[in-house]
Amino acid sequence: MTAVTAKAKIKESKPKVKTSTVLIYILFAILVVLYIAPIVWIGITSLKTRPEIYKDPFGLPTVLQWENYSFAWNAGKLGTAMLNSLFVCVVTLFFTMMFGSMSAFAIGRMKWKLSGAAMMYILIGMMIPVHCVLIPLFVRFAGVGLDNNLWGLILPYLTFSLPTCVYIMTGFFRNIPNELLESACIDGCSIYRTFGSICLPLSRTGLFVTGLMTFIGNWNELLLAMVFIHDDTRKTLPVAVTKFVSPYQTNYEKMFPAILIAIIPSIIVYSLFSNQIVDGLTQGAVKG
Amino acid sequence: MEKLLKNKTAIILFMAPTLILFTAILLVPIATSFYYSLCDYDKATRAYSFIGFDNFSKLLKDPIFWISIKNSLFFLVFSCVSQLIFGLLYAALLTNIKKGRNFFKNTIYMPCVLSSAALGLLWAFVFHAKVGINTLLAGIGIKGPGWLYDIKGFITLPMWVIAFVALWQYVGQSMMLYMAQISGINKSLYEASYIDGATKTKAFWYITLPLIKPMVGTAMSLNAIGSLKFFDLIYSMLGDKTTNLKMDVLATFLYRSGFSSKGGNHYGYASAIGVVLVALCLISTFVINKVFKTENYEM
Repeated sequence: MTAVTAKAKIKESKPKVKTSTVLIYILFAILVVLYIAPIVWIGITSLKTRPEIYKDPFGLPTVLQWENYSFAWNAGKLGTAMLNSLFVCVVTLFFTMMFGSMSAFAIGRMKWKLSGAAMMYILIGMMIPVHCVLIPLFVRFAGVGLDNNLWGLILPYLTFSLPTCVYIMTGFFRNIPNELLESACIDGCSIYRTFGSICLPLSRTGLFVTGLMTFIGNWNELLLAMVFIHDDTRKTLPVAVTKFVSPYQTNYEKMFPAILIAIIPSIIVYSLFSNQIVDGLTQGAVKG
Repeated sequence: MEKLLKNKTAIILFMAPTLILFTAILLVPIATSFYYSLCDYDKATRAYSFIGFDNFSKLLKDPIFWISIKNSLFFLVFSCVSQLIFGLLYAALLTNIKKGRNFFKNTIYMPCVLSSAALGLLWAFVFHAKVGINTLLAGIGIKGPGWLYDIKGFITLPMWVIAFVALWQYVGQSMMLYMAQISGINKSLYEASYIDGATKTKAFWYITLPLIKPMVGTAMSLNAIGSLKFFDLIYSMLGDKTTNLKMDVLATFLYRSGFSSKGGNHYGYASAIGVVLVALCLISTFVINKVFKTENYEM
């Protein structure tokens, strides 16, 4: 086939592309409904009375039961739980970004023999499920008074958030042009200032993304929080939410507001920064 | 410059916090876990007595262990296959459209950032035996199955339900990875193939697929490890029912043997399950990387 006819063929095929595009749009419209409907539905159901939920689970409430929210908030101690979650996540976030970018800088930019080995060592952390260290950590922490203590959650959260942070930040640091570092060096910049005043500000995007990912991941963590904390006043949000379900009776009219309260912060953060999260995340993964 | 980047004190200072944490919170506990798995834990005296491989031989005779292995492997295979198919399909279709691409992408990725525990409660209600989806089915005259209560079959219905919920929640992640890889492919490759008379399907099959093969490996290892770690959804959807209805996976089995009020504190036994879990994680990552290992093409 000659190039001319091929070009003609591409032109001809243009109207055909349109039908397939329409089909793609229809498919994704259905998918969007499949993804958004459950969340809207939680919102609707959370405003119904219990008999309404049982009789007509997919219908609209006749009278909006706003007091469901205050019931759930008080019964589940969701306010305390949210503060606990916030404390744990913010502290973890801060230290993850600090330690993570420090190591990433050492691994990505500095020259030493064992940098490859150190990276391997850290990346193993990505493969190890947290379940495997659950029991030894629990036993150890109980010995030093870190059980039933929010700091006992922060330490493992921090450790398990670090690999992703180091991984993504190493990629960002490696992308900084050499000339910048050289000129900093000529101007008499120390290594600490090169890191703190040149490389860190240049990798803002990376910091932002890893920060968001770390925060969201720990905000949702259930297993460790469930095992390590047994005081009601120290429970984190996911644990507090699961408490609404018991084997014998489930308070649906309290459970739905609780679910919404638990996921609303993530939804807000996500809708504000979804493009950055999604792009930054893939950037980290692709570069590896 | 060279001297600056070889500053030993700085390297030690930069690496120390991370390495100390990794050793204290990860390496030492894993080693301890291996040791515990060879021990019997006495609740009263809080002492560990070395009993060799007894925990493992007990494990091999425990029917619940085999059920958890079966269910965990089911989740592993299901999530790897389904996420590959749907993630790739969505990614391939989405890269073909321009308007609204980001909106669709972000919507499908959204559940990944939400709490599985909370979403699990929602789905548990949707698949409730009496309310939820069955009310809709009853409306059109179909008697719905018991969903989360049905325990017939080799892979029970609840496992399928949860596997699909997991697919719903996490397919966005695979889709994102594939999309990033596909949009990195040089457009001229496609143009050349169209000039040679290739159809879109053929171009996908002979250009896109081979070029994203390394990413398939990455995404699949993430899926595999994620599905072996699977705990939140199962716990929140089934709660304590896992025991009676034989719907354990390794993670819930471990949690129950170690910490649940009914299972008791069999730390040694639970550690043995943990060791099996690590082994499965490493083996599956290794196998997947072996299968999808390719030399990187120039793109």
